[in-house]
Amino acid sequence: MERFVKRREFLALSLAATLSATLAACGAATPTATPPAAGGAAGSTGGKKLKVGLVTDVGSVNDKSFNQSSYEGIVRAQKELGSEIKYVETKDAKDYSKNIDQFVQEKYDVIVTVGFAIGEATLAAAKASPSIKFIGVDQFIASGAELPNLAGLTFEEDKAGYLAGALAAMVTKTKNLGGVFATDTVPPVWRFGEGYRAGIKATDPSVQIQIIYHSDVGLDKTFTDPAWGKATALAMFDKGADIVFGGGGNTGNGALAGAAERKDKGVLCIGVDTDQYETVTEAQPVILTSAIKLLTPGVFNLVKAVQDNAFKSGNVVGDVGLAPFHQQESKVTAEMKARIDKLTADLKSGAVKTGVPPVKP
Amino acid sequence: MTGQATTAGDGPARQLWPLARRAGQAALVPALAIFTALILGAILIWLTTGSLATALAAYGGLWEGALGSPRALAGTLVRSTPYIFTGLAVALAFKCGLFNIGAEGQLALGAVCAAWVGYRFQMPGLLHVPLTILAGIAGGFLWGMVPGILKARTGAHEVITTIMMNYLALQIVQILLSGPLKDPRSVASQTPALAPTSWLPMLIPSLQLHSGVLLAVLVAIAVWWFLGRTIWGFELRTVGVNPAAARYAGMSVARNVVGAMALSGALAGLAGVVEVAGVALDVTTVTPTGNRYFGLGFSSGYGFDSIAVALLGRGNPFGVIGAALLFGGLRAGATRMQFNTQVPGEIISVIQALILLLIAADVIVRRLYRLRAATADEAQPALTSGWGEKVA
Repeated sequence: MERFVKRREFLALSLAATLSATLAACGAATPTATPPAAGGAAGSTGGKKLKVGLVTDVGSVNDKSFNQSSYEGIVRAQKELGSEIKYVETKDAKDYSKNIDQFVQEKYDVIVTVGFAIGEATLAAAKASPSIKFIGVDQFIASGAELPNLAGLTFEEDKAGYLAGALAAMVTKTKNLGGVFATDTVPPVWRFGEGYRAGIKATDPSVQIQIIYHSDVGLDKTFTDPAWGKATALAMFDKGADIVFGGGGNTGNGALAGAAERKDKGVLCIGVDTDQYETVTEAQPVILTSAIKLLTPGVFNLVKAVQDNAFKSGNVVGDVGLAPFHQQESKVTAEMKARIDKLTADLKSGAVKTGVPPVKP
Repeated sequence: MTGQATTAGDGPARQLWPLARRAGQAALVPALAIFTALILGAILIWLTTGSLATALAAYGGLWEGALGSPRALAGTLVRSTPYIFTGLAVALAFKCGLFNIGAEGQLALGAVCAAWVGYRFQMPGLLHVPLTILAGIAGGFLWGMVPGILKARTGAHEVITTIMMNYLALQIVQILLSGPLKDPRSVASQTPALAPTSWLPMLIPSLQLHSGVLLAVLVAIAVWWFLGRTIWGFELRTVGVNPAAARYAGMSVARNVVGAMALSGALAGLAGVVEVAGVALDVTTVTPTGNRYFGLGFSSGYGFDSIAVALLGRGNPFGVIGAALLFGGLRAGATRMQFNTQVPGEIISVIQALILLLIAADVIVRRLYRLRAATADEAQPALTSGWGEKVA
């Protein structure tokens, strides 16, 4: 959940400055509400190759995390739809609007912006350029702020946590599972944790659950306390747990590192957000899977929707799932895999519900 | 950078010729260092992308993004402004033989003080703006003074203490922003929005160009005047060149060391002021003027880069302005460069590092272009001063 760390830090500057809005208003070059509006232009983009731009959150397109997964979505659009793609990496949160504006000025068809923190800048740019489609990754669009050319791609963390809990309940030998989370005050983290709890209970009610949120410290420490994450995970192993799910920036990564320390004792851990086998390398021998948000297909599908003239604005819910099992492949039987696949489909269709509300009541 | 120095005409301009020549000579090595770094950067892009055309296009994009339009130019000026202040801060300390690595921390303290005065009080702008600026100056001044006192009293080397105090400053700021100064209505660690009366006036509102750049130029002139035309400046420089001689002449080395560090911190604090009270955040169609506040992660290295800016400017206030414009331009143009060519933005950091390397080891440049060795006049005291000497 590296994401949240960045989120917290850069929320501070979020909505970054600038020009785009003001300039779009005064610049003669800006298309002032070009008449061939939204639905009316049906078919016009059908055969045409789209120009797709992507602006990262502070970071780079090879961060093995959110930025990279989103970027791979437009790379796929390049391969499968022949889109012309380009990216700009944000180096300073004050540059969000400026970076988006690069693509606005060149009249790109689709602009993808990555991360919660760039949301305000995206909203402003979308308002100023109604002829361009915007895709905001991890950006929930509040009611009242909807725009016909803006889609916010978010994910249901509780479902990802549910799948992780179900798998862990099947794999555990000690019938004792742990969860180490950064905080219960940030909804996505809390939803991962409670989804995990629900998944375990539904799969095997006899399993003992130890879930702890690091809410005893301020929001500034809660995501950046790997020492606490590690110590807590180790304490859970001491109390009999054999799998620990770690979530929430470096705090969660600390839990994975704790599991790595006990790799000779046969313990396992579960990562979060993206495939953490790639990001927390020291924990590779003990990572069972990661509860992931499927950013790449999410972004690709939205770009494809623009290509097919089927773009839907507003909040779009992307798919979640479990990452590959890598070195633990042998611990997951074919029967377990089948059950997880069925659960994934049922959660998506609504046949199975996690019972976790969007925010902590 | 050297170009303008060689275009002396007839008449009154003739009298300026020797002055211009000296400026030209002083700027020669930095200009060649920049030139060399840009060439090396181009070769690097060429090698990594396999195309010389990409390298040239990248520089084209850099130029376009930094200077290609009024908006680009405004962006360059806004990003150069904090560099001017932090560059002056490091340069002033150089003159006293001190290597101030603590600009980042001093900037942070200045910013947090300015932000506090900006949001905490309600008063007319005529009073509020100067008080906000003064608060930032005071924050940096006091924070910079500490390593000065440590140096004067105990001989603790300022390089070590200022580095340590950067960490202290960033942690203190973090504590303040997550507790006492935090905006209770926000989930983020940031202060409440500054009152509009405390904002630096805008020069060109549509381009977000604030008046901090004018302040920076005025302060540069003031620093030049202080160092070259006042008795305090003379003392400060004398201590920098030869502390023993200064002491023998009856100057207080300790007082000058403390004073130089404090003034240096005050200048860095001003960089914090312009970033907090000048740069608009949250600009949207609803709030075209944006907001001003101070939050975590806002500085993005203006303090650390300042060492390179000061070295490139040869410690001269006007040289610092030139170097700051270059660094601000590189920062502003990087986006366009990447947009046009998809070259990694890190190439900018590589070019900056190469410039710093070539300036610090100017023998390379002199060898490369067959220039004569540095004269004593051009030598930089800060880089040759000793470690751990007690000055009191």
